[in-house]
Amino acid sequence: MSYDYKIEVRDLSTWFGKKKILKEISCYFEDNSVTAVMGPSGCGKSTLLRSLNRLNDTIGSFRMSGEVLLEGENIYAPDSDVYDLRRRVGMVFQRPNPFPMSVRDNITYGPKLHGMKDIDELDNLAEQSLKKAALWDEVKDSLEDPAPNLSGGQQQRLCIARALAVDPPVLLMDEPVSSLDPISAGKIEELITELKKEYTIIMVTHNVQQAFRVSDQAAFLYLGELVEFDKTKRIAEAPSDDRTEAFITGRIG
Amino acid sequence: MSQQIKEDLSQFIRELRSAKGSARIDLLGRFGLLIPALASSAVIVLILTFLWYESALIFASPEGGMGIIVNPTWNPNRDLYGIAIFIAGSFMCTILAIGIAVPLGMAGALFLSEFCPHRLRGPIRMVIEMMAAIPSIVYGLWAYLVVTPWIGSVLAPAFGVESNGLSLLAGGIILAIMLLPTIVTVSDDALQSVPRTLREASLALGATSTETARKVVMGAAMPGIGAAVVLSLGRAVGETMAVLMVTGNALQIPFSLFDPTYVMTSIITNQLGYAFVFPLWRSALFAVALVLLLMSISFTIMAKLFIRWGMKTRGLR
Ligand SMILES: Nc1ncnc2c1ncn2[C@@H]1O[C@H](COP(=O)(O)OP(=O)(O)O)[C@@H](O)[C@H]1O
Ligand SMILES: [Mg+2]
Repeated sequence: MSYDYKIEVRDLSTWFGKKKILKEISCYFEDNSVTAVMGPSGCGKSTLLRSLNRLNDTIGSFRMSGEVLLEGENIYAPDSDVYDLRRRVGMVFQRPNPFPMSVRDNITYGPKLHGMKDIDELDNLAEQSLKKAALWDEVKDSLEDPAPNLSGGQQQRLCIARALAVDPPVLLMDEPVSSLDPISAGKIEELITELKKEYTIIMVTHNVQQAFRVSDQAAFLYLGELVEFDKTKRIAEAPSDDRTEAFITGRIG
Repeated sequence: MSQQIKEDLSQFIRELRSAKGSARIDLLGRFGLLIPALASSAVIVLILTFLWYESALIFASPEGGMGIIVNPTWNPNRDLYGIAIFIAGSFMCTILAIGIAVPLGMAGALFLSEFCPHRLRGPIRMVIEMMAAIPSIVYGLWAYLVVTPWIGSVLAPAFGVESNGLSLLAGGIILAIMLLPTIVTVSDDALQSVPRTLREASLALGATSTETARKVVMGAAMPGIGAAVVLSLGRAVGETMAVLMVTGNALQIPFSLFDPTYVMTSIITNQLGYAFVFPLWRSALFAVALVLLLMSISFTIMAKLFIRWGMKTRGLR
């Protein structure tokens, strides 16, 4: 099937109860690119991200209108398979949330869900995923240790490895480094640039400098509106909206 | 030992002198909370000492001795005081009850916490909490009139066994029913306190909510669920009235679920009145009580060790 963009958002509006959060948003995300989603807190960044893997559906008061196309197919279509969607669109959360299990079991959790049984195959996949997440060298001798005993930065890379293990073409990251120390944050930033070669990455960040460093294109949300959406370089040079400029110069946010 | 306590105390007084304002209140509060904690440990020690003192006679006498623990013949008329039957009876009854109640209770808690429609949750919890408040004699009466006849006339014949229903199985069932409310409510609390982000991590990998509940939420709630089981173990070993009424109280070790049995609490309740003026007999009953208490303490300790091990392998605190 041919499609223009990996993910295309068309006229997306969302509500929690009566409160409208996202307002008629349209944007797209290309293969092998990093998109930074910026904006003041509470403007709807997480809500946008969680609309792309339908995680908002788990919240009772959530409603939406519009379309989200993944490889050309509307993920909100009645016959769309939400479990398959979430396998194809992985997510990394703001706080590292490893399962209370061993390092290895954390990684193999997803693949096992989707039917992988062979032990050697699972072991191999665990190794590959940990390598991709630049964690293998640190944990290869302690795969049976409980994951919650790792450091915060290691936990977050484990969560990245866990998401990669089900081989999702798209990776959503919701402020993946905001709870980490600068060194761990730096490692993950490096990792993101590396992962871009294989994945479509959409990353929420509160940190403008970070967005400029790692992203190819950027979206700026303000009170639920998509105020700016363009190549990062262009926004960095000359934002077209006053609110974007105020945000990147640190006057709001 | 007492040297240590003296040092701790003077350390505490020094800290109290140098602290001021709210810090002083905090220190006093902590010291104040120590007292009930010490008092309750003291009570356990006192009770153990008392039971040991009362049962010393039978353990020291030639008719008794430590051997009574493994001797299955109980016949006070002929000065035979083997208590193995009661130990086996209590043990089997407890294991059976836990074996029935834990899976059922966990299933119930999972339903309540993860799958129950929001509007039904409150009312269902309330009913379950009320179940915990029903006196055990009422459970006993109900089991005597409903459960035992059902076992005698339906279940036993279905297995080709002859039974009047008063049996190990009846004891296990009624105990399990009595344990259920604790297991369900405590486990439900534990499941509810599992952070939302853990569930979301699982859902975001494409898991269904059933898979998430079974594989992630249950594991994360394990310490709390374990606590429910510990509480239940203690209660199951010590429960008296309901079990007394439905187990048939036959002086034998049961070989099938449909055989009657005699548990430790029942023999004490049934015979203490007659035994009081016969020192050996009376002492033997206290020996039963001592074993009962030790059994429930060791069940609790074993369960706690098991939980601690489980938490350690999962990296839970
Ligand atoms: N589960 C929810 N129920 C109701 N309102 C919510 C929920 N989650 C977020 N919101 C509201 O949606 C708005 C946007 O939240 P969010 O997308 O988390 O913002 P951001 O990630 O940009 O900080 C906020 O006003 C927040 O209060
Ligand atoms: Mg957010």
